[in-house]
Amino acid sequence: MIILGIESATSQVGCAIGGHEGVLASTHSSRGRRHAENLTPQIDFVREQARISLNEISVIAVDIGPGLYTGLRVGVATAISMAFGLGVPMIGISSLDLLAYPVRHCAKLIVPAIDARRGEIFHANYRQVPGGVQRISEPSVSTPDDVAADLLAHGNEALLVGDGAIRYSEIFANLRGVEAAEPSMAYPSAASIVQLAHAKALREEFVSPTELEPMYLRKPDAIEIEHQKKKIL
Amino acid sequence: MTVRLTLGIETSCDETAASVVTSENIVLSSVVSSQVDLHARYGGVVPEVASRAHVGLVNPVIAQALVEAGIEYKDIDLIAATKGPGLVGSLLVGVSAAKALSLVWDKPYIGVNHLEAHLYSCFLEEPDMELPLIVLLVSGGHTILVSMQDHMEYSILGQTLDDAVGEAYDKVARYLGLGYPGGPEIDRLAEKGDDSIEFPRPMIKEGFDFSFSGLKTAVINYVRKNPETPTEDIASSFQEAVVEVLITKARKAALETGAKGLCIGGGVAANSRLREAIYDICLEDGIHPFVPSRAYCTDNAAMVAATGWLRFKKDGPDPLNSGADSNLKLPSGE
Ligand SMILES: [Zn+2]
Repeated sequence: MIILGIESATSQVGCAIGGHEGVLASTHSSRGRRHAENLTPQIDFVREQARISLNEISVIAVDIGPGLYTGLRVGVATAISMAFGLGVPMIGISSLDLLAYPVRHCAKLIVPAIDARRGEIFHANYRQVPGGVQRISEPSVSTPDDVAADLLAHGNEALLVGDGAIRYSEIFANLRGVEAAEPSMAYPSAASIVQLAHAKALREEFVSPTELEPMYLRKPDAIEIEHQKKKIL
Repeated sequence: MTVRLTLGIETSCDETAASVVTSENIVLSSVVSSQVDLHARYGGVVPEVASRAHVGLVNPVIAQALVEAGIEYKDIDLIAATKGPGLVGSLLVGVSAAKALSLVWDKPYIGVNHLEAHLYSCFLEEPDMELPLIVLLVSGGHTILVSMQDHMEYSILGQTLDDAVGEAYDKVARYLGLGYPGGPEIDRLAEKGDDSIEFPRPMIKEGFDFSFSGLKTAVINYVRKNPETPTEDIASSFQEAVVEVLITKARKAALETGAKGLCIGGGVAANSRLREAIYDICLEDGIHPFVPSRAYCTDNAAMVAATGWLRFKKDGPDPLNSGADSNLKLPSGE
């Protein structure tokens, strides 16, 4: 089984190829928000490095967000089209799962936090379970202050990961028992997609290209405005 | 000569479209999924709503285009997608899909200028049209008068200095409480009205550039002062003013350049009064009128496929590291 993993939900874009033998090749770039320009050549490069031909790919896995919409959509549209073009199934994995997975050995509460712009972060709570992590709260979008207040109220020891944790580190730094992971943990990795997708693929947790949906967590602006208007009236 | 097949993909605004067109400009399929109902309640296209819809629609629409053309992906020779101008989030969905398919199907990719595609939409139904031509490109975002000397060789004679025609239509329609999209609604009402109000014909005698912002303001001021006037008469008089300006300049351009034909393209080219007026002046001046069917005036992927093939023949494919450009201009002169 050969899995192509695509990740583009943050200011980084990347992809990886792997399977039973683990990750065979991966690449990432984060300069200049050039997701649409970089992604397809990256896939071709990684495929070549892994010495895999495209029609050997049996599953396309993709980061479905939450994240920055335009970049996220480049990855999702590319992944869906590749799955459609190759006639293979897909696996969608949340960017929050991808951030929590590399720190699965941490016994504290794990809180991935992705910069959502407009003073907010996308986040969820995870805890360690044998062989990985388990999400124990719904993915949501909140201000860093609200997330900090929540952590304080529950008195949990916590590890924050992701570019949202780094951007608002001064808000979390004052909380007892809360630490922010180092900058190397800022972005979801494409290698993690391949690893997580491999486990799901063994359980045959596939979706078809028409079923895969990005996780936006926010309504489009105009709908948001209409919503607020209704609330005021 | 072997017939080549191009798959065209269009996602620049609120239509998700795919089409298969032959190198002889024969349209084998043209599928358009319009999101107009999604946006109607907001009174205009909401970019984020459009982008989200494209993600789910683009591949089913492509699949449908292949089925309707009766071909398999293996039969395709080129994949063309609109790279601009348009809404950047929407453009990127089509470009990403096209590049992904180009990679997995091992077919060349080319990014297409949406405006150039509109210029070429007339050749879909009349591939042997005689050049040189004058093309009047009128839509919600553009009002451009183009002189086409030869294939892929053209120059811009004039364009709007403020509002595009379609934009003026939408703004007037909104003011009259006619809903969205405004163009078809004004067109429908105008037929029942009387063009008795003398609205200004901005810049009608000055060169080939256009200006519609003053006309829009004149309509709004008139309605404010004369609230009793039937909406049908306002619609009819406004439409008459717009069409007279467009037609006068297009006609002058055709005469000055010695054009053999006069074409219209873009969403506003679906307007019935404009279509009728083009036939009238062409008949008087003895030039060939070309008015594409309405399906090829509004956004479609057949024009993208046809233009993509011509560009590909001239300039070769685009690399996979190319992106979208929301502000892409019409290249003027070669
Ligand atoms: Zn258009």
